[in-house]
Amino acid sequence: MKSFLRHLNKLRWLSLSIVFSMLIILPFIHLYQTYEAAHAYDLLTPTEKTISDTVEALTSPFVKDPDELSAVKGNTWSGTLFGLKLSDPLAVLGQIFASMSFYWAFIVTALIPVVITLLFGRVYCGWICPATFIYELNDNLAAWLRKAGLPVSRRKLDRRIKYIVLVVGLLLSVYFGAVMFGSVYPPAIIGREIYYAIALGGFGAGAVFFLLTLFFDLMVTRRGFCRYVCPGGALYSLLGRYRLFRIKRDVATCNDCAKCNVVCQFGLDPLQDDFGMECNNCSACIAVCPTDALSFTVSTHDVAFQGPGHLGHKYRKAHPDVNTSETSVQ
Amino acid sequence: MKRRNFLQYLASSGLLAFVNSEGVQAAFAPSIRYLRPPGSHDEKKFLSKCIRCGKCGETCPNRTIKFFSTENGISSLDTPYIIPREQACILCMKCGEVCPTGAIPKIEYKAEPIMEKVKMGMARVDTNLCLSYQGKTCGVCYRACPLQDVAIKVGRLEQPHVLEKCVGCGLCERSCIQIPQAIRVIPKYQG
Ligand code: SF4
Ligand code: SF4
Ligand code: SF4
Ligand code: SF4
Ligand code: SF4
Repeated sequence: MKSFLRHLNKLRWLSLSIVFSMLIILPFIHLYQTYEAAHAYDLLTPTEKTISDTVEALTSPFVKDPDELSAVKGNTWSGTLFGLKLSDPLAVLGQIFASMSFYWAFIVTALIPVVITLLFGRVYCGWICPATFIYELNDNLAAWLRKAGLPVSRRKLDRRIKYIVLVVGLLLSVYFGAVMFGSVYPPAIIGREIYYAIALGGFGAGAVFFLLTLFFDLMVTRRGFCRYVCPGGALYSLLGRYRLFRIKRDVATCNDCAKCNVVCQFGLDPLQDDFGMECNNCSACIAVCPTDALSFTVSTHDVAFQGPGHLGHKYRKAHPDVNTSETSVQ
Repeated sequence: MKRRNFLQYLASSGLLAFVNSEGVQAAFAPSIRYLRPPGSHDEKKFLSKCIRCGKCGETCPNRTIKFFSTENGISSLDTPYIIPREQACILCMKCGEVCPTGAIPKIEYKAEPIMEKVKMGMARVDTNLCLSYQGKTCGVCYRACPLQDVAIKVGRLEQPHVLEKCVGCGLCERSCIQIPQAIRVIPKYQG
């Protein structure tokens, strides 16, 4: 069981990569479909021909009619997966406020994501969000910059800022009578901008905003946008407050190495048993723990601080009589 | 000027400039002639429903649908629109099928429901420009219309007359051989 949990982080990267590459593949499929619909292969430019040929070669083993490729459409903001329509809960909430009405056919499309968030907390942030894919790479860049001696700041801001962003966003949606989140919400921006760039030949205004968030993460604080600003992250934090599945430290096997704290991009404190509403169950800390002290548990609350790890210096100094060697995992 | 005062000044003038900026102003008065995808509600309701997911554009087989950047105001940011002269709607109704929010309602791909529910605008002929009204017989727009004799008919010398039933798809405007086009769709929100 433990050894399986250690590989969850790789599985998570697989998931992130699949989502991100789908966002790139789908616009090409759309282009191919439009070429087919126009019955004008001979009129295509050489680049368009290459796109058409490539997509055809890749998809023809699976579908007979290019129309069938429409089974998967859209992005993480709202998409269709083999007939199942799924939408981001933030999109639904935004529409309710903008239109001041309930359009149930749309609201139900957020049901599955909401249930998943109630059970697993901010898993969307860790496992699916296409922005995470880039933000985590950006964080690696920050680590390199730091090694190269460049100043990379790690300030602590107030976690509640993002709830203000959420509320202000909802109020603005009411005021303008339009869903305002789509333009400042990184996963929605990325899905859309990739489509714009591939199918419409250029990035839109959102790309600039996303670049700014990358700089924010580099200059101000690690994963700063996700931790302090993102309205979706705020909504998921609220929904996942009493999540059933959460990570827990086994104090008996912890050796106080603090690797978990270092690896957590959300700046949480597994070493003090402090996961809170921000933990997105990404399992990076589980993967890095040398003694397998971290694992999942079923509970609606984090445990209170259990004290220093029993395999650590501090505990052993305080309890010289306890022989901890048999509990240590090698 | 003290630093704090200066910052306050900067922030407030920035805010003022923003509120008075073209983008924000345009949010209340559309400045370009564009159509919304077929079946869409009036502007206000459309904006309040569309979540800007882009699926309609990603589905349109004719590449008709484009997306606003800031040119039509911030409440139109990333919403779908159509410029019929560039690419007109072929009334396939696929965008409504895929739209998750009801901003573009589902309409069956049949003549009656389309004629009944689609009203993107209404075509208008500029008789000063139209070749058929200038002594040459043309009639291209009539032949491009998917609802011939229902939405548009031609009289003497192929002179086009738009009828009440026109759905505003813009295929006539797209195909008009005159430059600039002699027939234009006047969007619903302007008419
Ligand atoms: S906080 Fe927002 S941008 Fe960050 S991972 Fe979560 S949804 Fe994506
Ligand atoms: S009806 Fe068809 S052609 Fe017209 S905008 Fe919608 S998808 Fe495009
Ligand atoms: S599919 Fe519907 S919600 Fe999505 S961008 Fe188009 S009109 Fe808006
Ligand atoms: S008259 Fe023009 S806009 Fe009206 S239905 Fe015919 S082609 Fe479409
Ligand atoms: S295509 Fe243009 S020029 Fe020809 S009849 Fe129609 S409006 Fe007139």
